[in-house]
Formats: sequence, structure tokens, C-alpha cells
Amino acid sequence: MLVTCPTCGRRPFTEFSFGGELRDVASPDTRSDFARVYLHDNAAGPQQERWFHLLGCRRWVTLTRHTATNRVGG
Amino acid sequence: MPSLRLDGRRIEIHDGDTIAAAAFRAGVRTFSRSLKAHRRRGLYCGTGDCANCLVTVDGLPGERACVTAAADAMRVERETGWPSADRDVLAINDRLHRLMPVGFYYKVFARPRWLWPIAERVIRRATGTGTLPLRATAERTPTRFVRVRTLVVGGGVAGLAAAATAAADGSVLLADEGSLGATVTLPAARAAIARLTTEARAAGAEILERHAAIGIYEGPSAALLGANELVEVEAEHVVVATGALEAHGVFPGNDLPGVWLGRGAARMAAIHGVSLGDHVVVVANTDDGDDLAGAVRGTDADVTLVAGRVLEARGARQITSATVLTPDGRRAFACDALVLSLGWAPRDTLLRMTAEPEVVGAGDVVRPGCSLAEAEASGRAAARGDAAEARDADTWPIAEDDGYVCVCEDVSMHDLEQAWDEGWTSSEILKRYTTATMGPCQGALCSRHLADHARAKGATPAARGRTTARPPVRGPRLGELTGGVHEQVERRTALHDRHVAAGARIDHSGVWLRPGTYGDVDVEIRAVRERVSVMDVSSLGKFLVTGRDARALLDRVFPLDVGTLAPGRARYLLALDEAGYVMDDGLLAASGDGSFFLTSTSGGADRMEAWLRNWIDRLNLHVHVINQTAQLGAINVAGPHARDLLATLTDDDLSRGALPYPGHADITVAGVPCRAIAVGFVGELSFELHHPRGRSVELWDALVAAGAAWDLRPHGLDALDVLRLEKGHVYLTQDTMPDDHPAKLGLGWAIAKDKDEFVGKRALERMNALPLERRLVGLRFDGAPERGHPLTVEDAIIGRITSCAISRAAGGAVGLGWLRAIDGVFPNVLRAGDVVATVSPTPFYDPDGVRLRA
Repeated sequence: MLVTCPTCGRRPFTEFSFGGELRDVASPDTRSDFARVYLHDNAAGPQQERWFHLLGCRRWVTLTRHTATNRVGG
Repeated sequence: MPSLRLDGRRIEIHDGDTIAAAAFRAGVRTFSRSLKAHRRRGLYCGTGDCANCLVTVDGLPGERACVTAAADAMRVERETGWPSADRDVLAINDRLHRLMPVGFYYKVFARPRWLWPIAERVIRRATGTGTLPLRATAERTPTRFVRVRTLVVGGGVAGLAAAATAAADGSVLLADEGSLGATVTLPAARAAIARLTTEARAAGAEILERHAAIGIYEGPSAALLGANELVEVEAEHVVVATGALEAHGVFPGNDLPGVWLGRGAARMAAIHGVSLGDHVVVVANTDDGDDLAGAVRGTDADVTLVAGRVLEARGARQITSATVLTPDGRRAFACDALVLSLGWAPRDTLLRMTAEPEVVGAGDVVRPGCSLAEAEASGRAAARGDAAEARDADTWPIAEDDGYVCVCEDVSMHDLEQAWDEGWTSSEILKRYTTATMGPCQGALCSRHLADHARAKGATPAARGRTTARPPVRGPRLGELTGGVHEQVERRTALHDRHVAAGARIDHSGVWLRPGTYGDVDVEIRAVRERVSVMDVSSLGKFLVTGRDARALLDRVFPLDVGTLAPGRARYLLALDEAGYVMDDGLLAASGDGSFFLTSTSGGADRMEAWLRNWIDRLNLHVHVINQTAQLGAINVAGPHARDLLATLTDDDLSRGALPYPGHADITVAGVPCRAIAVGFVGELSFELHHPRGRSVELWDALVAAGAAWDLRPHGLDALDVLRLEKGHVYLTQDTMPDDHPAKLGLGWAIAKDKDEFVGKRALERMNALPLERRLVGLRFDGAPERGHPLTVEDAIIGRITSCAISRAAGGAVGLGWLRAIDGVFPNVLRAGDVVATVSPTPFYDPDGVRLRA
């Protein structure tokens, strides 16, 4: 399976490491922060995620992965 | 004549023999004993699919005799049966099978509970296949990585056609478990294989023979096991063309030696020229009957070919008669071999491992029993990405009476019926309860029967599917398994050879190799506390953080107040994750030019870098992070004479005015440019010298030479563990748990309270509103404590020792440990076995830090 990295092009997915669901960087208050940190969507379907090109350019990419099939697109 | 030894007996080998062919020719009929009932098992599939002929070859267990080439002087042992596979006293089990009903583990030994450990020992001895050579070292199989556009598994007609077609569009690798065409007995198939091999090679496909695919994984990727290598293949498309074998027939006596599946029987007769017996009955409901009968007849056997359903096979040591329900009625035969071609079963284990759309089947594996022309067309279609439509085999030989469904695990039709009646009414649950499909052949023969049984019983569509298959297809050797394990990265500092030369014991510390001790830990500790010492700390994570927004980034992500960190000063740094838990710690030093130098723990460097880069990206800041971990070496010079030692090697000002605590300055030591950071992990006056890695040896040698005046001794990790403990400093991961917020560790002081925002701030606010239920405390002991020992109050375990040492500087045994609150109160006196532990403030040594600031 190949994943498109903006700097390196199409690379094997094994070069990337998972960084979790795409979430907001901050929350306005403590209550919403709890939801931001703990209550993940955990969608069974397309999900926006952060991936780190660990064995490549060491940059982060945001990509869409279908969590049921692991297909990566967009 | 070459020969092998089977259980000590000399057996002649003919040219091209497998172990099974040589043994069978010499009259061996019983190749193993079954798992539970210790029934005789002979050659059955003859194609490497079942587990009946697993033998130990030259000390290595679990080799399939039917596909392993025989070699001169080979030592072969049958693995089951005592005293031998031929005469096994536990064959009595076959008559006692009522004592071992299906699921008997759960039933027979459930009460009384004390019986099970004893019973288990007996059962373990009576079952199992083969014995591992305990003192032998598994030789690690080398691994090779390959990336191709198309991987084809199986070099039959369909696979070769797929490879030939796919090669027009990109790189192709075709792997076959044997040699192309070597085991094919049908002349037309041989001709097609020869023609397609030429075509595939000409089109540029790479053909890898004697490489069996043992698993298909996400990606898709596949593991191919060769005689001397493991090949990991990443492919964009995978075509599985592993063919079919004759369906496993289930009827009373179906597991007797002398009952064969067709292709294995044909191989034995036509390729090895071994006669199956004097009177052979071939039962064929497929188109293969004439070919099979012809192959067997070639060895001068008397062959009867019939169609129909086998009702029963009888015999003691091997089959002596069979009853078949033919279209003309019930017929009984006296025979010494029964060859079955009752229907086709796809060899689809690999396909059942994955649901990825890039993995498709071709030929017999999706259309069992298809013609050569169909197979070729199917292969070519699969190469273009069209998965052939799977067709269910329609002639499925399900018995009405009894017989062994799972030959590996001795699961009979009767057992399936009983399990069903007990309420295990789906194929996956039947599998788990009866252990059918869970033997060495991994359901190659019987997985289909489970689904079929569920369907015949009227299970819902969801409950009658084929069970999922998982890698590996068959049992690999330990060395082959380690072949797939990526090699451990080992990092060495530039001073590694110096440590080895000094006689250091080298320890693995994460990915790093670091000196544990140079011989005497006590001497090393005393050198630090009383004189001067050096330690190689090159493995620390080291980062240069620069750019317009460097300060803004650090202030936003770390809980310390970066705003008040003046150039030339350094500060202890905690990194929290968004849940407020301590992720790492280190040091932050501010430079005059607006850049920062950051250190992290040795094990946390990669994570720190990724973490910082994520925040830079998410917050859209202009910051550069340069990971200097591998670029810089670092040596910590520590001890009351640290400044005196450095003064002999530098003209730079080392006074507290020029190099404050905690702070840093760029100085030149022994001609080597260094960033000196005055820090205090060991609790003495100390200077971490960060310098270009290429000059580490030069700097180390100069320090050691000049240090001789103070009897300098370098110290390693063992001494460091005691030195930092005396100061009450926490070792992340050893003393901490993944859900520790700073207050639990007594590190609340490292958090700037009045900052608007930092990573983890909201979570800390939330957690700080709750009472502490657990915390890390300093402990003093009245005896010799042991790390990891539970801490108790009135025999209730409420904590554990995470670090401890007997310390001269602290005046006794000290440590750190976890405590849980009892009714909101943390106890002060605990027991660790015979030792009494008293909660004590830290640091244990120099609590006011006078020595650090010297």
C-alpha cells in the first residue's frame, strides 16, 4: 500500500507512523477539552488522521483513511 | 545406494525420492499417531497439505515427509507414539473416547480444581508433535525485501498465465512452493505449464521456485519462505493461484493408513514409481478418475475405478476393505489402498487471510476443478484485476455417519454433532469449541467442512461462513520466524570503543549500547561524590530549536515559563501530553540569538522530535527543529573537582558569573568547542559538554588524562542509578507509569501556574481538582529492599518499590515507590516483606543543593 507524502511522493505505508485522529489543537474550557482528548469519533469509515513520515522526510501529513478497509485517499 | 535412517532403520533412497516415497516403498505405513485417540495415520494428501506425515529430520521437528526431499544419511524420526509410532500403548485411548468428549478440557477436569494441573501435565506428555531441540540455537533465517507491482503465488497454469499477462504492465514476481511442473502428473497440464513458463519468462516475470507463501498481510504484503531465506514482498497486486486439492472425505475409517487423496496418490505412483498396494480402489466423482487410475495402474497394481459415495473403510493397521455406494448400488471391495477424488477443495488459506481488494484468486483456488483453458483465462483476467467469481464446489462429501472431520485434532462428525447440540451453532464457534481447523494443517482439509456442517444444520448466513485463516499457513521454524523480525537497531556513541577498552560492561539501554559499569560501582560513585568523574551521555536527545516563532512554540507546548528564561540560563523541562501525563523530561537552554537548545531522555528523542514537529505544523508556526542527537556527543563532568579539572583544559571563565547554575555557555575544552551546560542530575557540581561527535574521543581522552590528578574514574549507568536516586530524581518509565500527571510524581513545581496555555493544561486543571489516589514517594528502609517488591500495610498491598539502593551518601537504604491512599490518607510506614519502609522527603542527599551550586 502506498501513501502519498507531499514531499516524498508515493511511499510504502510502513515508512509512516500513526499520530491519531485529526483533532483541534486546543479547547476553550476544561469540559470541552475532556471531549477533545478522550472522546474520539473512532469512525468506522473515512477518517482524517495525522501520520508522520518517520522513515522519510519527518514531516506530518493529514490524510483520510477508511478505518474499515485501511484505504488511504485524499 | 544412498539411504536414510527412519527410527534407526536403514531405508534405501531412489533418485528423486521424498522421505515419504522412500519410507512407503520400504513398507512404512504408519507415519504418525493422532493427537487424542492415538490412531494410526498414514500418507493421506501427499501434497504437503495435511499433517499426517510430520517427522523430525536431523533433529528438526515438524517436517512434512511427503514434500521433503530425501537425502543420504538423513536421520528421520516419527514424532508420535510411545514406544513407537508402530506400537503405541496409548492407542488404548481410541477405545476410551467416551472419556474424551468434545470440549473435554472444559468438562472433565472442571472439578475438582486441583486435578487440572496434574491432568494437564499428563495430557501434555501424551499429545503434541515433535520435540524441540532445546540446547540448539535456531539459526536466524536471512530476510530479503522485495517490492513489485504484482506478486503471483503459485506456478501452475493460472499463476503462470497471470504472471505472463501482468508482466506487460510492470514488475512481476511469481513464487512457487516447489519446482514449476515437477509434481504435475497430467501430460496436458505439463505442456501448458512449459509453454506458459516460457511466455512468462519472456515477458520479464521473475520466477522464484521453492518459496512457499506462508502469509498475506496488510498492504498487501506477503512472506515467502525459501530454504534459506525469508522474502518479504510488498506488492500493489497479489494473485493467489494456489490451486485445489481433492476434497477431504469424511466417512467411518477415513483416517486409516491406505486412504489417499488423488493427487498425492498419483504423485507417489507416477513420479516416484511406488506402488500403493496390490488392490487399489479409486473412487472418483471428478473428471480425474481415468488419469488417477492410469497413474496407479502404471505400477502394476490391480485398480478398480468407481464413482459414488464412500460409506465406510475398514482395517486395523491399514485399510483392508471399503464400501462404496455406487450408482449400481452398494459395493464392497477388499483393498489395500483407497484413492479419493470425491470433489475439489480450493487451497484457499491465503485468500481467507485477507479482505483486501488488491488480493485476487485465479484458477482452481476460486473455481475448483476448472479446465486448463479456464485456468489460463482466469489467470489472465486476474492479472488485469478481475477477480474470478468463486464457485462453490457442488460435490461435497459430507458423511451421514461418522468419520474424522479434522484429522489433526481428532474431531469427528460425531463431535461436531454433539457440539452443535450443546449450542455451539456457528462455524467460528464450532471451531473454537472443538478445535477443528486449529491443528498443524490450519484447516487446509477441514475448514470447508465446518462451514458446510453449519449450513447443513440450517445456520444463518452469518453463522455458516468459512472461518478466517491467519498466518502462518504452516508451522515455520523459530529461526524462520525470527527472519521476519526486523533487525534490532543498535546505536553506539562515538566513545563505544573507549568504554570497551576500559573493560566496561556494555548494556542495552533502549536502542543504545551504554556502559553499565567499568568494574566497581562503588568506586565510580565515590569518584563522583568525592573527586571527579566523567560519563558518556551522548545518547541524550539533543535539539536545536530556531526560527521566528521558536520561543512562542516552546512556551505554547511546554508547561515551563519560557518567557522568563533568560539567555544563558537553562531550566528543567517536563513534556506533557494532551491528557496531562508526563511524556518526557529534559532541559531547555536559551541562547542569546533567540534560539534554544533542548535535551530529552535517551529513549524519548524520536518521540520528542515528532511531537515538536506536529505542534509546529498544527499551530502553523515558523520554527526549525534540528535533531542533533546523532550529530553531537555529550560528556558529563561531575564531582566537587569538576571545575578544577575543566580549568586545566580551558581558558574560558567557569565561574558562576559566567556559567551559572542552571545555565550554559559556549567554551573550548582541550581545543574542542563545547556547549557546557551546568546541570545537576547526579547532585554534584557538573558540566555537560555537548560537542561535535567526531571529536568525542579527543575530548574524553583529554578529560581522563587531566583527571588523573584527582584519580578520575568514569561512571556508568549503574552508578548513575544510585547517584540520581540519592537526589530523589525520577527515572521516567522505571519509576513512572503511563498515566502520571506531575503532581503524582511530586513534580508539580515544574509547572508554571500562571500560564494561559500549554499542552495538557486543561487536563491538569481537571485532575488537580480531584484528590490524589496514588503518588510516588521517597522511602527509607531498615534492611535491604528489593526493586519491584510490593509495599504493604497490614498485609494489604498498597504500592511497590520502583527504585532502591543502599547508599553511603544517604546513610542507608533508600528508594522510591508507589503508594495508594487508604481512605484519602497516604500511610507513612509500610512493609516490604521483612523490611520496614518509612516515607521520607527527598532529596536524600544534599537536600538544599549546596553542592550543585558550588
